[in-house]
Amino acid sequence: MKNTIRQIFHSPKFVAGFSIFVIILIILFVYPLINPGDPLQMIGLSSFSKPGTYVSVYDAIDTEKAIMKLPNADEKRLQNKLSDEDRIAMKEWLLATGTPEEEIDITDTDHLLKLWKDKYDPSIKPKGMTMAKRNYYKRLNTNLEKALDANEVVIATRNTEDGTLDETKTVKDTEYVNTKDVVNSIYLPLGTDNFGRDVLKELVSAAKTSLRIGLIAGSIATLIGLTFGLLAGYLGGFIDDFIMFITNLFTVIPGFILLILISYGIGQEQRGATTVAIVIGVTSWTWTARSVRSQVISLRNRDHVNLSKLSGHSLARIILTDILPYIASYVVMALILQISTAILAEAQLSMIGLGPKTTEVPTLGLMMNWSMLYSAHTHGYWWAYFPVLLIIALISFSLNLMNTGLDQVFNPTLRD
Amino acid sequence: MKKRTMKVLALFLSMLLVLGTLSACKSKEPEEKPATSTETPDTSKETETPKKEETPSTEEKATEEPTSTTELPRNETLYFGGQQWGAVNGWNPLGDNNNNAMALSSSGSGSRTVMFETLYMYNFLDGSMTPLLADGDYQWNDNMTEITVKINSAAKWSDGTPVTADDVAYTYETCVKIGNNAGNANKLYIDTITAVDPSTVVIKAVLNEEGKAANPLMLVNFLGSFYIAQKDWIQKVEARNNNDPTAIKNDPGEDVVYSGPYGKYYADDQKVVFIRNDEYWGKDPSMWGKLPTPKYLAHAIYADNAASETAFKAGEIDVNQQFIPNIQDLWLKEGLPISTYIDEPPYGICVNMPTAFYNLDKPVLQEVAVRKAIAIAVDYDAIIANAMTGQSPSFQEVPRSIMNPTEAEQSTYDHEAVKHLQWVGNDIEGANKLLDEAGIVDTNGDGIREYNGENISLVAACPNGWTDWQASMEIVAAAGKNIGIEITTQFPDADTYQTTVTSAKQLDYDIFMMWTDSASPVQPWGRLRYLMSNEFNGLDNNWSGNYGHYSNDRVQELIKLIPTETDPAKLKEYYTEAVEIYLTDIPSFSLMYRPDKFHAVNESVWTGFPEQGDGLNIPPADCTDGYGIAALYHITPIE
Repeated sequence: MKNTIRQIFHSPKFVAGFSIFVIILIILFVYPLINPGDPLQMIGLSSFSKPGTYVSVYDAIDTEKAIMKLPNADEKRLQNKLSDEDRIAMKEWLLATGTPEEEIDITDTDHLLKLWKDKYDPSIKPKGMTMAKRNYYKRLNTNLEKALDANEVVIATRNTEDGTLDETKTVKDTEYVNTKDVVNSIYLPLGTDNFGRDVLKELVSAAKTSLRIGLIAGSIATLIGLTFGLLAGYLGGFIDDFIMFITNLFTVIPGFILLILISYGIGQEQRGATTVAIVIGVTSWTWTARSVRSQVISLRNRDHVNLSKLSGHSLARIILTDILPYIASYVVMALILQISTAILAEAQLSMIGLGPKTTEVPTLGLMMNWSMLYSAHTHGYWWAYFPVLLIIALISFSLNLMNTGLDQVFNPTLRD
Repeated sequence: MKKRTMKVLALFLSMLLVLGTLSACKSKEPEEKPATSTETPDTSKETETPKKEETPSTEEKATEEPTSTTELPRNETLYFGGQQWGAVNGWNPLGDNNNNAMALSSSGSGSRTVMFETLYMYNFLDGSMTPLLADGDYQWNDNMTEITVKINSAAKWSDGTPVTADDVAYTYETCVKIGNNAGNANKLYIDTITAVDPSTVVIKAVLNEEGKAANPLMLVNFLGSFYIAQKDWIQKVEARNNNDPTAIKNDPGEDVVYSGPYGKYYADDQKVVFIRNDEYWGKDPSMWGKLPTPKYLAHAIYADNAASETAFKAGEIDVNQQFIPNIQDLWLKEGLPISTYIDEPPYGICVNMPTAFYNLDKPVLQEVAVRKAIAIAVDYDAIIANAMTGQSPSFQEVPRSIMNPTEAEQSTYDHEAVKHLQWVGNDIEGANKLLDEAGIVDTNGDGIREYNGENISLVAACPNGWTDWQASMEIVAAAGKNIGIEITTQFPDADTYQTTVTSAKQLDYDIFMMWTDSASPVQPWGRLRYLMSNEFNGLDNNWSGNYGHYSNDRVQELIKLIPTETDPAKLKEYYTEAVEIYLTDIPSFSLMYRPDKFHAVNESVWTGFPEQGDGLNIPPADCTDGYGIAALYHITPIE
């Protein structure tokens, strides 16, 4: 046994797969300790906030300030409000409203802004200009006004008695705060999803659920497959025919269709993560059964098995001590693959809305489902779905790599 | 031997894996969502009649039309999206199962008058009625029991004959006779319609015990929602169907005579195309004075919302009636020439109030404390920000009542008088306290409160694929978790869902979402009735409202009193009382405000669509509904 394990850990493929898997596992268990809380809590009141650190604007006002005179602060501020495309667009508007071209110089910011201030009038509708374009100019104008109007912003509080505004603070354009000093801030490495939930926290919890589903489903599938395969292969005759009949039946019906039908049949209220896992398990055992059976057939006439038979050992004992150990390595490999396929199956099921219930536990498939429903892929909110894809890919990649590594160790033809 | 088996096995397994992966890829593309998705269902049906989705009649559409129409000149065609799902069944204005959204969408908030026309066009921006087939304003008689309408002498059918008062009277008579939706909806309020002379119609109201009109509002509603058909054509249909009501309703009406600016050009399961009738009577100076700009109106039939959204972004749809999450990103971030009626949140005129009904047939929900606790615990800000992505005013901005956010409806009740009852949500503490005080507590310590010794476990439901509704139900379920009530969500397909909630009694769903009435001349009375009237209780196939089967005698009195009340002060008092009862008893609670029709335009090909503050007073009604159709006379191809 010790030797086998040593052998396994000498296979570079297995080690690579195993390391990836262990790293994922460690992250899954350690991250919730660092960042505890309900992964389904809707913290954000805006869907799909970008990844990054969010500091409280409210608290920032009261945070200790440092005055910094950055040389290009104004420039940056302006660039943020007035990009090169904006300048060209401004020129278009000025031309469309009759300003001669030689007067417009889009490289001279001050001149351009002055001209814009003089000429722009939101009520003018230049001929042939679309509503979308006019709205764009309105927004641009508001932005520019904000950028240029004042270099001091006044913070005021509303007087509760007469509703007037009392000036409490002013903010200058040279004031900075250290983000560490702001009392309330949140770091969202992967932003938020459509419900305003922290994607990373959700992802960690979802990956755990998906792994659990994979483990349960994989074990069930392997157990059923193994039992059927052993019985059919060893006993032969009518029992073999019967088991193979059922197995073939399950094989010809596409497993995924069966999965969809059963999931739909049991209804959403019954569909917890465990139920889904069981459903996946009972629909994906057929290949294990078939291959175990063929292996057992090749084993059952070996001398040691016949010897056992002659010694009068019971069926269970023969199967458990004389046959099972010989195919144990294969069973472990099948289990690993089953786990991997079960994780994928859950993702597929949830994608089409037949997965576990949303409010109870996050799963990888559900995260994909909701980001699809809210058009994350067409709007470019990559953080809502790409990390999910990545983690699914990594988990199945590592499991498959481990499997290949094991194969190299146990399969004599592949041995170095 | 073993090696080989292993090899073969490995091959098998890897093939299985590959196949699995392939099938995974495949199943991700065609989303198995009902096409209805977040299409705003045809709301505001003041009808007692079921809206059944029947299968198309067996006769296939006649194959008369040329198929060379697939190439429509782009700059003469206005493309629509989000209205028509599935193939058209028919063109018969007397039928109920046409599934022909572009031609036949009758609704109190403005019927679609592309092909068939109404007497007046309703404008939900100001509640006005603009004459269409009618000439000038309608006239009430002195005791408000009759409306007189003059028919525009310029109005012509597509066969060139004039539209007469007789057509109006005969259409109504037939609708009542064959018992279609339009007939059933109006016969409780309209006694007779008679043609006094070829250009004058008198509409007589059904009178109540006191000799007053049973509901004068419904008569006005009729003027803007009822399609007029040609008497000669109706008689032809009656003759060929041997006067059999069902056969008449199911007649596909391919030969129909219409009065609107567009007629059928081409329709199959891929798209529906209308072509302009250049002889349209509306070019008469007494009406529009010109023809609508686009020569063709076309609506491609998409599989689902996602496909439709992609087409809209690519400029293949000009006017889109579809909920698009974070729509502002389309112009702010992607720089597409897409706009909505208003450039800022909520981007449209919200006149509908999708509402969660409590199933009052369930004993635990008969406890007002439970109803109130859930209602005040729900985080409405999250629904509006996350489910609706900001495309709705919040409940701080427009406090809850039975009125929609328009000024006209908001002014009908006394805000101060009910202020203490209007909750804004996310009040977990208050909800918990309420339940504790009502004695509904968790005695066995499993985190879930019990009622009569059983854990309170409720099912919140809405149709699958209606994205924003599904997200809202999830947020309601999340609220339950915070107050010790187990709420699980269920998303059945739309047909199953609607059949269940419209049945006389159901115990499948405990909290379920439905739309309410939008804007129309009968509002907010219509919505009051929709939300609380017990006249629908015990009816199967009830599409008229109060799906939770609430009952309150005082509400019934108010429903009867309001329509005939003419004193504004008294009216305000009644409405305030109704709001008070609604917010105290909480038979249902609104989750958001929403436009009747989403209206977003892509100006790649056409421009000049209505926008707020353009002074034209054209409502954002997809350029087709009610007075919204005026937009078709203002748009121009882009240069």
